[in-house]
Amino acid sequence: MTATNDLAEVRDAVADLLTDRVTPEILEAAERDGWAATVWEPLHAGGFTTVGVPEAAGGAGGSVAEACSVLEAAGAAAAPVPLAETGLLAGRLLAAAGLPLPDGPLTTGTGAVTLTGGALSGQLARVAWASAATRIAVLADGPDGAVVALVDPTTTRIAPGHNLAGEPRESVDLDGVVPEAIASVPPDTRELLARRGALARAALIAGAARRVLEVTVTYTGERVQFGRPVSRFPAVADHLVRIAEQTEMAAMAARSAAVGAGEGEPDALDVAAAAAVASEAAGLVAAAAHQATGAMGVTREFALGVLTRRLWSWRDEWGGERAWATDLGRTLAAGGPDALWPTLSRGVRTGT
Amino acid sequence: MIFEPTALSADEEKLRDEVRGFLAETLPPDFRPGLGLGGRHDPEFTRTLAQRGWVGMSIPTRYGGAGASTVRRFVVIEELLAAGAPIAAHWIAERQSAPAFLRFGTEEQREWFLPRIAAGECWFSLGMSEPDAGSDLASVRTTATPVEGGWRASGTKVWTTNAHLNHFAAMLCRTTPQAEAGDRHAGLSQLIVDLADEDVHVSPIPLIDGEEHVNEVVLDGVFVPDERVLGEVGQGWAQVTAELAHERSGPDRYLSILGLYRAFVDVYGRDPDDARAAAIGRIGAQLWTIRQLSLAVARSLDQGEAPAVEASLVKDIGTTFEQQVVEALRDAAGGEIDPDGPTMFDRLLAECVLNAPTWTLRGGTTEVLRGIAAKALTKGS
Repeated sequence: MTATNDLAEVRDAVADLLTDRVTPEILEAAERDGWAATVWEPLHAGGFTTVGVPEAAGGAGGSVAEACSVLEAAGAAAAPVPLAETGLLAGRLLAAAGLPLPDGPLTTGTGAVTLTGGALSGQLARVAWASAATRIAVLADGPDGAVVALVDPTTTRIAPGHNLAGEPRESVDLDGVVPEAIASVPPDTRELLARRGALARAALIAGAARRVLEVTVTYTGERVQFGRPVSRFPAVADHLVRIAEQTEMAAMAARSAAVGAGEGEPDALDVAAAAAVASEAAGLVAAAAHQATGAMGVTREFALGVLTRRLWSWRDEWGGERAWATDLGRTLAAGGPDALWPTLSRGVRTGT
Repeated sequence: MIFEPTALSADEEKLRDEVRGFLAETLPPDFRPGLGLGGRHDPEFTRTLAQRGWVGMSIPTRYGGAGASTVRRFVVIEELLAAGAPIAAHWIAERQSAPAFLRFGTEEQREWFLPRIAAGECWFSLGMSEPDAGSDLASVRTTATPVEGGWRASGTKVWTTNAHLNHFAAMLCRTTPQAEAGDRHAGLSQLIVDLADEDVHVSPIPLIDGEEHVNEVVLDGVFVPDERVLGEVGQGWAQVTAELAHERSGPDRYLSILGLYRAFVDVYGRDPDDARAAAIGRIGAQLWTIRQLSLAVARSLDQGEAPAVEASLVKDIGTTFEQQVVEALRDAAGGEIDPDGPTMFDRLLAECVLNAPTWTLRGGTTEVLRGIAAKALTKGS
């Protein structure tokens, strides 16, 4: 198992780097322009954008757990850049295909895409930062099975779109696009990408939830009504405790699934559990935080909205809690009653 | 917060396999699982378990225990609770009393009680709650007055589980009148009362499920010799709060529903529709995560930490989860609750619905736990 101290060091390093860099002005500009160069560049220079992509493939190296540590810190800072997409998702997809890792922000997405006669056809829906990316790694069905195609976004037709946090989620029309490079990949590549996508969102949620807790504890400790800080009222304190509980649930779920990947890919059951827990936690945390912070919490100027708008978005990206719970439930049910406890108590395994 | 994922070592996994093997050959195939720590009181099972060294595991070897780590004990009790094994005879003695003797007891008490607890032959009840002292434990009225060679204790304790079957209870008593003690938390002491004493009167308090395992215990001037005072006279408050804090986050806080969950999968798990699959999956995901939280607390205890606030959070998360599971499975199954229904699920669901309210009460109510957690979260504001 990767030592948890190392993971905490990665989290702290990214958190330090992002301190004072993700300001309200930067976030407003990112929502307007779809990009935040002053956030991306120091992360890129520090080697944090390709953590989880093997060094041999041109990445910074490191495990899935280390990549998720970066994402927890990025989630807490609400960093408006495609960190998950560049490293854990597109970066690892290209590495699996044996394709070279292009410089700069990368992205990928889901959708039915086919490769025929050297050209692609199909669409990708709600692709994160498609316009801002230097390249898109597209998973497509070729004549001889699954392929990864490297695509220059300027050769595609992109329709704008956003999530609730103003992060770009664009449609990419690939009809007739000729990729720069193509390589075949094993048939389970699509499933592995979906798992990494869901795990990445769980890690981002865990980070953002922890920051929501801090913001909410601070505000309710300063806001005085009836002559005392509102956090002294048990009904308000109850919200704080439930935020803390759901934050620890999301973090433990995401970290367990990430650490369980060892030096390989995360396990199907672990990711389903982590995604189901984190996506549910996201909604509970956001609701409790807004109730506790009152009218101030829903203003554009207050620090909470940039986080809760992300929680409300990220929880459904790469599958929401019901989708993952149903998936997990079918797997558990198929195992039968006697396998239920041994499966669920398997815990964190050391590598795959 | 200290919550970091932790894995079981190869040795710990081996221990778990041994416990699973033992349970598979000991419990009958048609065994009706108990609801976690609500498992049945079975002296024979407790002694058999003790012979394996699985009762009072954390008691040092010089007192007849296994000298095991918190995590090794976690591994064993988790399997027992998951199976709904009949653990009630030794449960309190091993979870609460043995650690209290180790922390606060005299050498003579350790030498007398601990080997008997580890052998599964000395069973304890808790003697904290009273008619007017529930969450506000410091308001206990049971009084012990000094007499030649010891104390005479008088008062009434309630909700004393299995007092009609167990041998002893550590009774929280006021030994210095509050007017003299000043602070209301001062002047309390824990006295080990022999429940078979003729001046102890035990009578059942029937609960809404019709069961009679919870009692009222009247102490009618019972004599307790000086050597049966647990810890220091006047330090009872500090002692019981330490006990409660350390024992809060164990697997007993999230495994009461495992038998029901397994029975649901048995009855409704073949080719489940989306709603039932989602219910099975959500419960599995939550259980998988809560178990990791609880294990993380156990591991940190072994590393010398005192995660009292984390333990309160885990208990609140776990017991709230347990109640949600009962409702979710009832909803997913559909139909009426039938206590005499044909399936194990029917019968366990009826039992769970009637017992679930106690899960967020015993060992500290949800409100008390959240109060403790909130205080820690808002420290400084």
